[in-house]
Parts: sequence; structure tokens; C-alpha cells
Amino acid sequence: MSDAPVLKVEGLVKHFPIHGGFLQRQVGAVRAVDGVSFSIRRGETLGLVGESGCGKSTIGKVVLKLIEPTAGSIALAGEDITHLKPGAMWAHRRRIQTIFQDPYSSMNPRLPSGTIVGEPLENFGIATGAARDERVAQLFRRVGLRPEAMRKYAHEFSGGQRQRLGIAKALSVNPDVIVADEPVSALDVSVQAQVLNLLIDLQEEFRLAYLFISHDLAVMRHISHRIAVMYLGRIVEITDKRTLFARQLHPYTEALLSAATAPDPKRRRLRKRIVQGDVPSPAKPPPGCHFHTRCPYAIAECKVTAPPLIEVAEGHHVACLRRPVGGDPGPLSIPG
Amino acid sequence: MSAILEVRDLHTQFSTLDGVVRAVDGVSFEVAKGETLGIVGESGCGKSVTAMSILRLIPPETGRIAKGSIKFEGEELTVLSEEEMKRLRGHRISMIFQEPMTSLNPVLTVGTQIAENVVRHMGVPWKAARERAFEMLDLVRIADARRRLDEYPHQLSGGMRQRVMIAMALSCDPQVLIADEPTTALDVTIQAQILDLMVELKEKTGTAIVLITHDLGVVAETTERVVVMYAGRKVEEAPVETLFAEPLHPYTRGLMRAIPRLDVEADAAGTRPRLQEIPGLVPILTKPIVGCAFAPRCGFATDRCRTEAPPLVDVGSGHTVACWEIERVRAST
Repeated sequence: MSDAPVLKVEGLVKHFPIHGGFLQRQVGAVRAVDGVSFSIRRGETLGLVGESGCGKSTIGKVVLKLIEPTAGSIALAGEDITHLKPGAMWAHRRRIQTIFQDPYSSMNPRLPSGTIVGEPLENFGIATGAARDERVAQLFRRVGLRPEAMRKYAHEFSGGQRQRLGIAKALSVNPDVIVADEPVSALDVSVQAQVLNLLIDLQEEFRLAYLFISHDLAVMRHISHRIAVMYLGRIVEITDKRTLFARQLHPYTEALLSAATAPDPKRRRLRKRIVQGDVPSPAKPPPGCHFHTRCPYAIAECKVTAPPLIEVAEGHHVACLRRPVGGDPGPLSIPG
Repeated sequence: MSAILEVRDLHTQFSTLDGVVRAVDGVSFEVAKGETLGIVGESGCGKSVTAMSILRLIPPETGRIAKGSIKFEGEELTVLSEEEMKRLRGHRISMIFQEPMTSLNPVLTVGTQIAENVVRHMGVPWKAARERAFEMLDLVRIADARRRLDEYPHQLSGGMRQRVMIAMALSCDPQVLIADEPTTALDVTIQAQILDLMVELKEKTGTAIVLITHDLGVVAETTERVVVMYAGRKVEEAPVETLFAEPLHPYTRGLMRAIPRLDVEADAAGTRPRLQEIPGLVPILTKPIVGCAFAPRCGFATDRCRTEAPPLVDVGSGHTVACWEIERVRAST
């Protein structure tokens, strides 16, 4: 891994306006992403994990420039692409590709799969005609599909095969970064394993950087090198995978881990759940630390002061007032 | 074990343009009083159709129970009229689904919807039914239950809606609750709360639960016995600890090795063991399956597996497996 990040995001903010009233004026904003920074190197997977409404998918869309950020910057291989207009963005699109949760909805049902996968090659003027077909056949083989299947239509493939098509299409233009938003959530476990293994192999082969978005902690732990945990638009903890699972510091990370089910009946009696209640609405996030309404360790100050994301150990950032630099990394006490 | 629900040799089929789909192809199991039975399998294995068959919710235009028997408290359900089934559903057997929003009426308050069910089945006055609705919302730990009675489904979060569904399903003290992927649409922290709630309520009310899911983690956490289905057939059944400690069907083993685990440590370098794939695809259910349905994807398969369907064999302690090669599977690691 070279050290220069291939994707670097700083202070990213995305607010969606809420319109209301007789004149449909803006009456508020959903703070989907509220000041998020991270970077990814070549050959590295950064996992973004969190529950519905935490802003993880919005980050994916903003990074792909499918929607414009409200503030902050996005740099692709050192070049600032934040304010590029669609025309100027064109040249950069090849470098950042995406894989969707449901590839079927992104495929034209009237085109043969070979044409779908080869479309980016034509769009970017990389290959046409026989050269394109040759390249597509190669891609099909690489993702584990038979080249003869190029003549088939999307509906003739199974869910796992469609995800392979989606991966082949994203790969076709030799991207640097792939944004994968819940790419295996719709798949059965036996097929999910095939797709995860394929993604890991391709990453090693092409030194791809993945921004991997998922709600599934076990999948995340399998595929990621580093993981960022999000809650209501903010990153609350970011560190390498091993540290996150062994020595997580943020109470929300602890809550997520305690809530995850494990395929082991012997463990079920041991667990304690640490949070109750629902995730608050991102249109009206609680003041201070967004998590204080559900946090068993919250103190008075958590209700008023938003904790900054600080580096408490090498590469380990946490946003929690009760986890200062040099603090005791042991279990937190519940305030009396 | 006194069985409250007995399914014997159930065959449920659908007519489609591509031919007859054998969605459930000879499945048998029992549910004891107060027990939690898990039915696990991947898409298209017939687990949901089994549930729909029990409640006789198979759309008559396309589907039918072709063969088999479903006995509830000794009474044969497959021959009951629609009127008789209506008296049973939501009363002695009830069901909750994956997406509560599609099962709740958007124009009625949740209090009204729960009370309606109570009035219909228990024949109590409206006022008493409203009181019952309040008790139920309180039981499923909806905060401020009195006020929530007058709210509409869209005013509730996903987790709360599923709590309302559970409250409604339990409002008439059913003997059996069928839960089809009840937490699949929910976030992890909410899923944990709902699963805990279901386990706790089962202990309190003694209702037997049939939990249908694709998620082995959910199965491990909540059930006592598990039925594994593949291509419309039961391939393995065992007490939950046995199934996870020593799965014997190659498909069950395959499933367990295919899932990324949170509870398995990475090695020193931080690399994790490669996930084991199950090669190939599930069979097409419109074509008759000769031999074992899993044979084309199975590393243990022999010629016999491809020609002769394996019977369910009892290997002791309530563990049954449909596999010709049990001994070879057991000996392998």
C-alpha cells in the first residue's frame, strides 16, 4: 500500500432541505452527513457501518458526485473534484465506479448483458467493436461467468450472477476506487460468500480501493481493513478492524457489537444489550452528542457539547467526551 | 413432547407459465407447546410457503396444497372452510411478517386495529377490547402506550410497528405464533430488542413460536429446535445446540462455513479465513428433482445421491438428516 490516499474526504456535509408550509419555504434540513472526514489508500477497504439514516449511503453518493455536497471537499488521487461541473467531472468518472445493492434495477432489461457490461468501455472510448467484445469476455471470465452468457439478458441471471455482472461493469474501466453500497445484502449466504471472495481477490489483483458501505458487522469485519462507525451523520469511531472489534471505545460501537447476533447458541445467555429505544430522526438530531439519548454512560455535558473526533491512539479516532486522550480504555462507568 | 402443530408430508405447488413449481415438496415437522422452532433456508427453499400453507394463505388462483396434512391441536386444517380458518387466524394461530407497514392498515389507529381483532375473536365489548389493546402495547414495551393507541402506523418507527404487530398477534392469546423474517427489515440494535422481546413474551405467555428466517445468527439466538430446508425439502432437523455443534447435512455445513463470523478471531496478521463458497445454484423447482436436491452442489455426492432421494435418518437425540453419506460427512472436518 502506498501512503498517498487515493480518495480523501474532508469535512463533508450534506444537508437535504425540508420544505413545508403554504409557500413551500425551507423549514429545516435533514443533516444526512454532518462533517465527515476519511481517506482510503490503494488496495485498502474502508468500511462505513451504521444503522438506517446514519448517512452512510449519502456519503457514497456524494463521493461519486451523484449529488453535490453542501460543504467539504473530495479529492480523487490528489485532485480536488468537489466543485467540478459534470463536463469536467467526466474525465474523473472512470476512476471511481460503483456497485449497487440491487444490480438488477440498474440494468436495462432490453440489452444483452455483454452490451451492459461493455457500455462504459464505449462511453469512455476505451474500446469498441471486436476489441470491446474481447475485453468483455475477459471480464466475464474474471468474475466467474461464462463468456457465452454475454448474449443473455439480465433477467436470465440469478441474483449472485447479476452482482457479478455489476462487478464486471464497474471493473471494465480499470477504476482506482469502487464504492460498494450494501453489495451483498440482497444475496443468500452461500452466494454472498462467493461475491465477497471475488471482491477480495479483485482487490488484491488490481489494488482497488473500496469504500464498502454496509449495516452488517460480520461482513464488514470480513472485508474491511479499517472501519468507520457512523451515527446520525457523524463518524463516532474510526480505526483498524482488529482494534475496533477488540478494543472499541465509543459506546455506540459497543452497542452495535452487543446487538449483533452470532451463529452460536452457547453465546446467547452471555450477552447483554446496552441500548434501548430507536435512532432519533436525522431531521431533528439531539443536541450535543447525538447518541446521548440512548447512551447509558452519558453525563450532563454530553447533552450540550458535541464531542470532536480525536485521535486517542495511533490511528484510532473516537468522538466521545468520556474517552479523552490518555483516558482509561477500560469499561466506562454508568453515572449514578 | 405434546405437539400442538403437526405438519405431515406437506406438498404445496404453484402453477406458473413455466410449469408447476413444487415450492414445498414433502415436509414434515412438529411444534410442541411453548416451543420455539426455527425454519431456516435460503430464498426459494419453501420456508415462507410452509408458513402460508399452515395458515391456508396460499392464493387459490395459482397455488394449492397438493398433498399432506396439517394438524393443529389434533384438528385437520387442510379441510377447514375459509370461514373456519378465519376464526382460527389471529386468534389461536397468528402471524407476523417482515414488513409491518404492509400488514397494518394505514387509515386506522393502532389501538383500533388491535381492538378490532380482540372484538372479533373474543366477543368482548369495544371498551374492554381497547383496554386489552393498551395492555398489549404496554406488554410489548411501547413507552407511553395510552397515547400511542391513538396514533397511526406512519407515526411509528419500524421497530415500534413490529412491536405493534407482535402486540396484535398476541392479543388473543394464540397457541402458535408464526413469525416470518420478523426482524429482517430492522436495524441491528432494534432487531436485538425485538428478538429479546419475543423470547421474553414466549416465556411469559407459553405461546409456541415458528420462526422463519434466513439468518443463522437469529436462529442460534432464539430457537430451541431447527428445521433446515433446501429446495422445498427438509434436509436436517436438530436441537439448536446440536445443529450448530455438529451439523451433518453437507448443505447445513456449507451454510455455516459461508457466513462471515463476528465471533471467530482473525490470525495474527489480521487476515481472516477465506469464506467457503457453496458452488453452483439452487435447482429450478419446475423440473422434477431426481435424487438428493443438493447433490449437484455437494462435495460428498455419489451416483446414488444423484438417482435416489435420501430418506430422513434419525441419528439420535432428535437429530434427523436426509443424506446418504452421513458417515463420510461426519468423518470429514
